[in-house]
Amino acid sequence: MGPFIVTGLVLGSIYAVSVLGLVLTYNASRVFNFAHGAIAYFAAVTYYWLTTFEGWSVGPAALAVVFVVGPVVGVFLWWVVFRRLTDSPPVVRFVSTVGLWVAIPAFTKLLYGTTVAGGEVLAPGFGGNPPGEFDFLGVTINWNQATIILAATLVALVFGALLRYTPFGLATRAAVDSPRVASIAGINPPVISAISWMLGCGLAAFAGVLLSPTLGLGEVQFTLLLVVSFAAAVVGRLRSLPLAFAGALLIGLLQGLSEKYTSDWFADSTSTFTDTLKTGFKPSIPFIVMLVFLLAYQGLGREQFEVDLRAGPAEAEVAPAARLAGWRAAIGPLAVALALFSVPLWLNDFWVGVLSQGVALAILFLTFIVVIGEGGMLSLAQVALAGIGAFTAAKLATDSGWPVWLALLAGALICVPIGLLVAALSLRLGDLYLALATLAFAQLVTYLVFQRSDFDNFNSGVEIARPEFLGIDFDDRVNFYFLVAIVFCIAALAIVTLRRSTTGMVLTAMRSSETASATIGISIVRSKLIAFGVSAFIAGLGGGMYAVSFGRATVQSFSVLVGIVWLAIVVTWGIRSVVGALMAAILYVVVSPPTDKLSFVLVIIVVFVLMGMTARLIGSRAIYTPRGALAAVVLYAAGIAAIVLLLPIDVKEEIDLGTAWDYIPTLLFGLGAVFLARQPRGVLFDVMNRIRLRQLQREARLAEGAVPAEAAS
Amino acid sequence: MTRAPLLDARGVTLRFGGVVALDAIDFAADEGAITGLVGPNGAGKTTLFGILSGLLRPRSGQVVLAGVDITRASPQRRTRLGLARTFQRLELFGEMTVREHLVVAHRVRERRDRTLFRDLLGLGSRPTAGETEAVQSTLSLLSLEEVADQPVVLLPLGTARIVEIARALATQPRLVLLDEPTSGLDVQETAQIAAALRVARDERGIAFVVVEHDVELVLEISAEVTVLDFGRVIARGAPSDIRSSAAVQAAYLGTATSEAEAP
Repeated sequence: MGPFIVTGLVLGSIYAVSVLGLVLTYNASRVFNFAHGAIAYFAAVTYYWLTTFEGWSVGPAALAVVFVVGPVVGVFLWWVVFRRLTDSPPVVRFVSTVGLWVAIPAFTKLLYGTTVAGGEVLAPGFGGNPPGEFDFLGVTINWNQATIILAATLVALVFGALLRYTPFGLATRAAVDSPRVASIAGINPPVISAISWMLGCGLAAFAGVLLSPTLGLGEVQFTLLLVVSFAAAVVGRLRSLPLAFAGALLIGLLQGLSEKYTSDWFADSTSTFTDTLKTGFKPSIPFIVMLVFLLAYQGLGREQFEVDLRAGPAEAEVAPAARLAGWRAAIGPLAVALALFSVPLWLNDFWVGVLSQGVALAILFLTFIVVIGEGGMLSLAQVALAGIGAFTAAKLATDSGWPVWLALLAGALICVPIGLLVAALSLRLGDLYLALATLAFAQLVTYLVFQRSDFDNFNSGVEIARPEFLGIDFDDRVNFYFLVAIVFCIAALAIVTLRRSTTGMVLTAMRSSETASATIGISIVRSKLIAFGVSAFIAGLGGGMYAVSFGRATVQSFSVLVGIVWLAIVVTWGIRSVVGALMAAILYVVVSPPTDKLSFVLVIIVVFVLMGMTARLIGSRAIYTPRGALAAVVLYAAGIAAIVLLLPIDVKEEIDLGTAWDYIPTLLFGLGAVFLARQPRGVLFDVMNRIRLRQLQREARLAEGAVPAEAAS
Repeated sequence: MTRAPLLDARGVTLRFGGVVALDAIDFAADEGAITGLVGPNGAGKTTLFGILSGLLRPRSGQVVLAGVDITRASPQRRTRLGLARTFQRLELFGEMTVREHLVVAHRVRERRDRTLFRDLLGLGSRPTAGETEAVQSTLSLLSLEEVADQPVVLLPLGTARIVEIARALATQPRLVLLDEPTSGLDVQETAQIAAALRVARDERGIAFVVVEHDVELVLEISAEVTVLDFGRVIARGAPSDIRSSAAVQAAYLGTATSEAEAP
């Protein structure tokens, strides 16, 4: 028993150091940092690099990372991102820090190379190698463990004193309660906020340094650290440092003890279920703790953000163009559909195969459009729901012999009640709680469901055949491509229809003002649950189709980390746009397989050009003049010609740009999401907005009778 | 013998921490009449509104609307019973046009937000004849026809405040709570709002409770006025009584700025 308590205390101490930083920054700036674990990861790798590759001894390396690297990262990120977020809408705050969560690990691997980062090795600990041991109350403790527990105690004491007894603590509390009043009283809220980010990131770095000798440098460990910190923060209702600290220790202790009991209870188990529990129970504890406290806090008030939405983006933004009526309204969608369905005409079989994966993924990406874009809910569970849909379909089709199309439908349907349950638990407490609960849920599904040996199957997953009906052979690449394209179009059309319907109007109203929505009779929770249910169905369906496009459902395709990369890329393109989802998915699959890198660059360029042209088509009225129409046709033809000429390539020789290249796309996706702090509605919207702005300016100039210098260009 | 008031709040008490925001307030509003609620800053007017509209829960006391105890009812249920409100800090739906504000309020009232499957098929988005007529009549009642299809973000403040009132009216209420409807408006816009309220009252029999800083306006349009100070009711009565009440003069009008003194 004793050793397990010590293990638990050690884990709890690391968690406690981490959660203190998280809650501190949240309280000082109202930004909940989803990149907290990623910052710890960066710090841990830096520490490992200093000690193992640069020959620093453990002490100075740890001090440098905690007191220099962490705070510097903190103040840098504050300057670049966080300080802009305090006044932005919740979705932007959420997505920007999720973007950092995607970008920072990729940046770390680029910076240090895969020999330093990316391994699962243990960094050197503080107690010597091997660590010395001593006896305490009959329990053997090594110096590694002792240092960690002591460090956490020290941090708790210092921070308690700092916040309670110093001017900084008082100023922090004042600045949070009312920034404006505080600044009149001579406090500088930005400075307070910057300091708190330095401290918070310093603590994240500290947690990373403590974690790396204990659990190693695997990126997954830091996601777990993040989830545990979230659970502990929920225990403290996101505000209370002492409660959050206690919650972290509680989770650590439960995890320590679970090691003893799960191995005792399931020592001679043979069933798949108990096998899964043996490995999966420990990482699921944070979710269980969070669940218990979410239920306990149900009766209490909502977490309130004070957000002035009218503050909005400072960029010049014009009112949306009057919606085009009649046949003109159909031009944009038709152009996209035409481009989509004509792909087999101008691409060879290999690229049709790649694109069918892309379009299948685009179906899945529509789930983000519904849940975040329409519902305004910050869900991280979509990837887990997609996985559930995929595995259910694969199991039913392959093991139980269901027709594939029926299995896909069943997979989608089963996601609805599951999604509703997760959302219902946290929705009443507020948006942020939904984000935390969905992340914990995704983690739980990964460890308790996907890790089952009959799902994981030594990394090869569960097979799923392509559907067959009407006697059409969908093993044929072109036929299958048409199938996914049709399903995508139906789903996209349903979403666009929904957006314009009463339900869509209700959701739009709610995104603007929940208070006003409630007072005109809208039931907030009910309406959000509807959106969540629809998004869960689409996630399940998309997950199934995505699995079919690969021929198998694998655990790796539906991990939490994959999910956040997806989220980042979708929001970058535009969270309100179904076309954006399509572009995002195509880009993602084109980048993902390690194919010919040069062709990938070309595809990206072409996709960008097509996107710009589509935007131009939809946004502009010039297209209805003969000259404009001709120009559009010529441009489209040129784009297609470029694709046909440049991409007759199957995978041939790999052009070696180094392994680091693999991380650049991920880094870009992450940074793309961070960019949302500037333009919350995504790249696609930004492009359209710019085009329209320029057009209006030109029209204004023409109207004033000025020399139409630009009209000639 | 007069009928029971449409809205009746008794002994409403609310504390924030140690501060008593409302101390055993009694407040009533009659059917088809405009009732004024005035008081200096911090008197508890907005807090009382929060309790009446269901955004806050009182520590003790009771709120009755048309004979139904709604003390613990959700905002949605209150709307169904005929209560609507506007906000001092505008809470318009930024992505919508004026007309859409009324349409969504009307449809929620008609429970057309409950037809997900029809909506997915595109069947639920067409306006019914009744809806078009109801929306059109509210638009013309408040003279909003000209801006009906403009996005609300482009409207001047005065018009935006009228849109808030229009949205409230679109829920087909019996009673509308107006939180400082003329705050930030000039004289002409204020007159416009006052006219709109009278028209709605006279043509549709809708009752209003008006919280205002502009005491002159309240005294002019209200049938009855309640004066709050430090969370207590210090006076209640017809405008003429309030104007001459010594307690009100001392607590409020006497220290108010010249706009209250102006003829």
